[in-house]
Amino acid sequence: MSPLDWWLLLAVLLFCIGAFGVLARRNTILVVMSLELMLNAVNIALVATAQFRSGSAGAGVLFALFVITLAAAEVTVGLAIVIANYRNKRTVLADRFDEMKG
Amino acid sequence: MPGGDFHPWFFVIIAAWILVCGLGVVLFRKIVYSAVSMVFCFLGVAGAYALLNAELVAIIQVLVYVGAISVVVLFAIMLTETQGTEYKLFFNRQSIFAAPVAVAAAAVLTVLLVSSEIADVGEKSQNPGLYRLSELLFNRYVFPFELVSLVLLGAMIGAIVLARAEGEKQ
Repeated sequence: MSPLDWWLLLAVLLFCIGAFGVLARRNTILVVMSLELMLNAVNIALVATAQFRSGSAGAGVLFALFVITLAAAEVTVGLAIVIANYRNKRTVLADRFDEMKG
Repeated sequence: MPGGDFHPWFFVIIAAWILVCGLGVVLFRKIVYSAVSMVFCFLGVAGAYALLNAELVAIIQVLVYVGAISVVVLFAIMLTETQGTEYKLFFNRQSIFAAPVAVAAAAVLTVLLVSSEIADVGEKSQNPGLYRLSELLFNRYVFPFELVSLVLLGAMIGAIVLARAEGEKQ
């Protein structure tokens, strides 16, 4: 395996840990935190690829910065939704938000 | 050997640090422990960026993730903390299926990664300095830059509108 492969493997494992958190946890705040883990994994892959591949000098690093900015926006809106839901239903557990269940 | 122009053990330590803290985020029973574990995971990712010679991203990671996002998450936890019986079941019911799905996704991606030649093309690139990065950001990528600022404005307004109490409308 080449040097880049090890970094991408780290990104894959962190991404899947985050995916497990999104799928498995009940607390919606923890779902948002697991989403952040997944975005971090993508950022590791972007920066590592930018480091080990020529031709795209700077683009990978810049897009990692864009991803960080969008993650900040996402966590703000996501947690605002969680708090608005908590104000209505006094819970943050995902399986209590079942009004649209048929 | 993993990594770049540093000792491979640095990569092993940083990778183990990130993965253990990441597992802590999804497996801790108390959500405050998960949040603290998340902060350490973000610090480890910043260390990974430093190993990859991306100092700017490492600094921004510490500023935005460790500084800002963690504080927002901790605020949300403290605003919504509920005591009592609800936390006995801290995974939801489909977590029995979630674990095999996550492991299978990891296995498939790893096999794809090892079998493909994605990493073998091209040679090691010279990492651009801060000057070159800012030149790129404000010339070639100025449109995404402006778009991101619009997204941030929209997120700010949206968060205020969503989190405001119902009675405060008038």
